[in-house]
Amino acid sequence: MKKLLTLALAILLSFSLFAGGSGEAASSSSDSDTVKIALIIENTIDDKGWCQSMHDGITQAMEQLPGKIEYNYSEKMLPVDAGSIARQYVAEGYDLIIAHGAQYKNMILEIAEEYPDVSFAFGTSSEIGPENVFTYMPESEETGYLNGILAGSLTKSNIVGLVGPVDSGDAARYNRGFVLGVQSVNPDAKILVAHTGSFSDYVKSSELATLQLGNGADVVTGSSQQAIGALRATAESPTALWVGQDLAQLTTAEGQAKCVAASSYNYGAVVIELVEKLENGIKGGECIPMNFNNGGFIFEYNPALESVVTPEIKAKVDEALNGFIASSDGLADWADVDYSTL
Amino acid sequence: MIDVIANMLSMCIPFSVALLLASIGEMFNQRAGIFNLGCEGIMAMGAFLGMLVPFLAGHGGQTSQVYNLLGFLAAGAAGIVLGIIFGVVTINFRAPQGIAGIGLQMFGVGTAGTLFRHFVGGTQSIPGIPDVDIPLLSKIPFIGDVFFSHNLAAYLAYLFIPVSMYILFKTPWGLRVRAVGTNPRAADSMGINVTRTRFESLMIGGCLAGLAGAYLSIAQAKMFSDTLISGRGFIAVALVYFGHWHPLQIMGGALLFTFAQTFQTQIQSFGISFPYELAVMLPYILVIVVLSFTSRNQTTAPTALGKPFNREIRT
Repeated sequence: MKKLLTLALAILLSFSLFAGGSGEAASSSSDSDTVKIALIIENTIDDKGWCQSMHDGITQAMEQLPGKIEYNYSEKMLPVDAGSIARQYVAEGYDLIIAHGAQYKNMILEIAEEYPDVSFAFGTSSEIGPENVFTYMPESEETGYLNGILAGSLTKSNIVGLVGPVDSGDAARYNRGFVLGVQSVNPDAKILVAHTGSFSDYVKSSELATLQLGNGADVVTGSSQQAIGALRATAESPTALWVGQDLAQLTTAEGQAKCVAASSYNYGAVVIELVEKLENGIKGGECIPMNFNNGGFIFEYNPALESVVTPEIKAKVDEALNGFIASSDGLADWADVDYSTL
Repeated sequence: MIDVIANMLSMCIPFSVALLLASIGEMFNQRAGIFNLGCEGIMAMGAFLGMLVPFLAGHGGQTSQVYNLLGFLAAGAAGIVLGIIFGVVTINFRAPQGIAGIGLQMFGVGTAGTLFRHFVGGTQSIPGIPDVDIPLLSKIPFIGDVFFSHNLAAYLAYLFIPVSMYILFKTPWGLRVRAVGTNPRAADSMGINVTRTRFESLMIGGCLAGLAGAYLSIAQAKMFSDTLISGRGFIAVALVYFGHWHPLQIMGGALLFTFAQTFQTQIQSFGISFPYELAVMLPYILVIVVLSFTSRNQTTAPTALGKPFNREIRT
């Protein structure tokens, strides 16, 4: 009896160990014209944030390049686990392995050295990698700046909140762009900036937003997938508004009610560029920037909250947006923002 | 300034509840001689089931508070089941408790995430339990915000403190729990069924850990995701040592930890020149420092903690 129970428990525990998701989103018959892409992510493909945006980008590229891409993904991959799944994809003949997050950098660089014929990509990073490693860097200070203009214009208490994950990568760029945007239209506004120290602690981001709302903030923003927790907390306030960093937030009930506008990374453009480079024999050694100028970002208003955005506010946002679209120069001074002076 | 302090303090009660419930549950486990590192996994299952019931009942939208209550009950029941499973492994099979706890943690987190994906899909929110302003009391300046404007579940959770003190120190069952956690052989010779008492403690511990998870998903974050618990189960285990296995001191630890969390957030929000990386670490550093200074005074520690009991073997 004890042996049977031991066996049953062992099976149950094994089941939980392999509970991380993996799936074949779509595939076509594998031939020489097909580019096989594998995606490795730390969260899930429907996290309404960072990981979903890359998954959506790849599926969007598949729609634009019918039959060209064969795609598979692995979710919930911690950096320590990601190496084995990346090697498995190499063994299965994948042409491009995207590890979506700067935390995978060491793993990618190590495996890329072992398999020089396979192409790898990771981001966000502005580093130029080896000849078979691409990097990509969203210049998200641009999207932050647009949201900052909105927040600085919409605030009535003159206090806005910002819930950040960690002060690095594209989150740091978004947050500093947001500060510059607020200051461009409302130099007297108090900007409450705080970080949770995690990309995925939804509870902590919810607590942080609640605290900022209690301190008087009436427009809040946040970056990375944990921002969903802060958006949920903002929805509890009868008057506060939210400006989002991901369009998927607009699809939620609280996003519909609170999110005035959101921007999103258009990874579809990046993936298409990567496929084209692979076809031209370029396997890496380049950093692909993402900005409004090259179609790397999308910005949309929430139709349900259009009435809160006056024509004057919209004109200011449009002016900045058109400037970003026209030039790839972006915001040169985003790195100079010092939170301790706010 | 007073408003900022009141705002900070008003967060302490509702944000400490999940830690408090899980810690009190773990205290019952440890008082009976078993430490359960799988608290995190039970909380994850509780959070998932707690959210699932109102989510399915309301099809993702508004629903009756009855379904939130059912969510809590489902989470508590799941905690009891996982407590029994842990008991089978550690009491009947006498597996090392630490390793079994880590296994339970992985099992709970993995299973909750997998079932969530199957039944719900991506990250989803629910209306949850609203905050309630207690008539008259909530209008008292400062004190009203700090103590009398929280959700009902938070108040009920704090009732567990006197209840658990009464059970542990004033009832025969509480005496049996303390006996099997201190000297199971002596308890056994006095006719106490060590195995049964330990199972009962694990069921209570599991139930409270499940409720703690459900509190996070129903009353606090009002959503579920795979990473919702994010190490809070392990903090709860540490708080039991921090609180010297006494409900009142555990409550103090949970409140202190939560206060440190909100304090570091305020430091960041008000642009005080202090590295945010250090600010985020502040609550955890506090726990380690307090544990270091109080670890010498372990007179209340269950002396049989972590030791499997085999009545056939004399030691």
